[in-house]
Amino acid sequence: MKLTNPDRRRFLAATLGLLSAAALPAWARPAGENAKAHVVIAGGGVGGCTAAKYLKLFDPALRVTVVERNPIYLRPYGSSEVLTQHVTLDDLEVSYDDLRCRYGIEFVIDTITGYDPQARTLSTAGGQSIGYDRLIVSPGIQLVYEAYAGLTEEVANSEIPAAWIPGPQTALLARQLQGMRQGGIFVVAAPPNPYRCPPGPYERAALAVEWLRPRNPRAKVIILDPRDSFVTDETMLLGWNRLYGFNLPEDYRQRLAQKVEVTEHAQPGMLSWVRGQDGGRLIGVDPQRGTVECEADTLAADVINVIPPQKAGALAMTLGLADGTGWCPVERRTFASSLQPQVYVIGDASIADAMPKSGFAANTQAKVVAQAIVADLAGQPAPEPVWENTCYALAGSDYGLFVADVFRLVDGNIARVNTSGRYLPLDASPMQIKLAARYQQTWLRTFTADCFA
Amino acid sequence: MNKMIPSLAMALSLSLINPTLVTLASATVLTSATAAEATKAAPADLAQAPDKVAGDHDAPLDAQVQPASGDPANMSAPTPTSTRTSTLTSTPSPALPGEPTGAALAHTCAACHGTNGLLGDEYFMPLAGMPVTQFVTTMREFRSGERLATLMGHVASGFSDPEIQAMGEFFAAIASPPALAATAPGAKP
Repeated sequence: MKLTNPDRRRFLAATLGLLSAAALPAWARPAGENAKAHVVIAGGGVGGCTAAKYLKLFDPALRVTVVERNPIYLRPYGSSEVLTQHVTLDDLEVSYDDLRCRYGIEFVIDTITGYDPQARTLSTAGGQSIGYDRLIVSPGIQLVYEAYAGLTEEVANSEIPAAWIPGPQTALLARQLQGMRQGGIFVVAAPPNPYRCPPGPYERAALAVEWLRPRNPRAKVIILDPRDSFVTDETMLLGWNRLYGFNLPEDYRQRLAQKVEVTEHAQPGMLSWVRGQDGGRLIGVDPQRGTVECEADTLAADVINVIPPQKAGALAMTLGLADGTGWCPVERRTFASSLQPQVYVIGDASIADAMPKSGFAANTQAKVVAQAIVADLAGQPAPEPVWENTCYALAGSDYGLFVADVFRLVDGNIARVNTSGRYLPLDASPMQIKLAARYQQTWLRTFTADCFA
Repeated sequence: MNKMIPSLAMALSLSLINPTLVTLASATVLTSATAAEATKAAPADLAQAPDKVAGDHDAPLDAQVQPASGDPANMSAPTPTSTRTSTLTSTPSPALPGEPTGAALAHTCAACHGTNGLLGDEYFMPLAGMPVTQFVTTMREFRSGERLATLMGHVASGFSDPEIQAMGEFFAAIASPPALAATAPGAKP
């Protein structure tokens, strides 16, 4: 049986046993002849919530509903600071109340189990059927634990946490680090490209070193890396060189020494970076023996943090939005799915060319989608998009750095268009470096407010 | 000053990226000496943006590149109304193809500078209600390096003069009552 939208909504109302449309929550109410469109957003993270908020800013008459599994959001950005007791897991909590109360956005706390893209209905584990005119999916990432021998989600939950999506694994890793024996070895295995938060694994290792030094001065922190270089690498390595007695790899030392003073430490510090070319690519873990195997060697470690390879969140798979790469192809101007009608995919899950998988990127993608949907509903072409990304990262609590980019549509792809540079200058003054660290902390607040308040 | 001028100047600078705009923008600008001047004054930031390298930012290198998204019909048929009217509200309005509205440009600032430039007690500069000349001067100084910055020099280098002007007009039009700005960082204007 194929139902039209009004039919379907009446059918829904009937099955819910409700006599009057007014008794239905706003998101399930049948649309009248001239009623405003209903935009449903699957996923209440940075991308989804920014889209919801800006849709209501652009057109307050729109009905906007966010469908999300968890009643409270845990922000991933800045979550490595839980490991070093700068903040607690509770500090990562973000409420949806502002979006509900200030903007009139509806929240359905339920798990999406499927949808009918022709009838435009989402179905949930709780038995709800939610009709939409446009659907924005912001599914985030999932971690592919099984990519490494010996690693499963269960092992990650109990022994070798990833702590890349904040939650119990973050708390577990914090406990492990805090309880590590004197002189213990902490291994951080960085994921292969592409992954969420490109500077994140390196920031995490740096913050761990800073935290361990006064508490566990003989400890070692080893980064195992499938790559030879990473975003913000020069500024991050320079910070390690200055703060932690880290000796730069020879190629970096030669390159940086032309621009800035680099110290060769006679007594190297506790941090090591094993690059792909040196055999840093992870092969597997043995939770029983407490070892990690990389291409170069098998190491005994006291605390192991494997950040697994990533792909689009499970919701993207449920809704048939990902292609063979594991990520979601989109039309670049609007982020409309290339695979499904009237569906848009934003955030880490989307294929967005030069844009990184970052919260800031998702935030500006959400605004572009909100503008495109408002224009589309008005029968107008999508406006010209512009995106931005700023990732602040810390080499230490007082040592900030960043990458900053502006993106435009160029020849059909998303390309970086800022011309002066992207990183903290290597000759940045101590004040600029400290300011960048303070700005990182400020950004955590202002960014959260722009997305969720 | 004619409100269309910055738009046309931008359309011309963007036409270096989008060849479909060349004919339209050149033909129109030639009819106005002032517009030609404005064009001359606009830096060729966008035109000088050859760096389309995605690899160093950990974007999905193996991702399949999708075809260009622009609809050719739309690209050659600009709407006749100026887009700058949209700076008075945050509602997006039809733009000339290839030209983001002042609002669209300004919303990229919000993650640090607050929704619509409204910010509470934070280290970042609130932008709501800032006089246009202050915004434009500051951004141009960031871009030239004349003004010391952490990252604003890099960000400013992604925008042309007309785009900076359009952002400035957007923020100047946002009312910023001190009480609202101090208590509600994400509040609606």
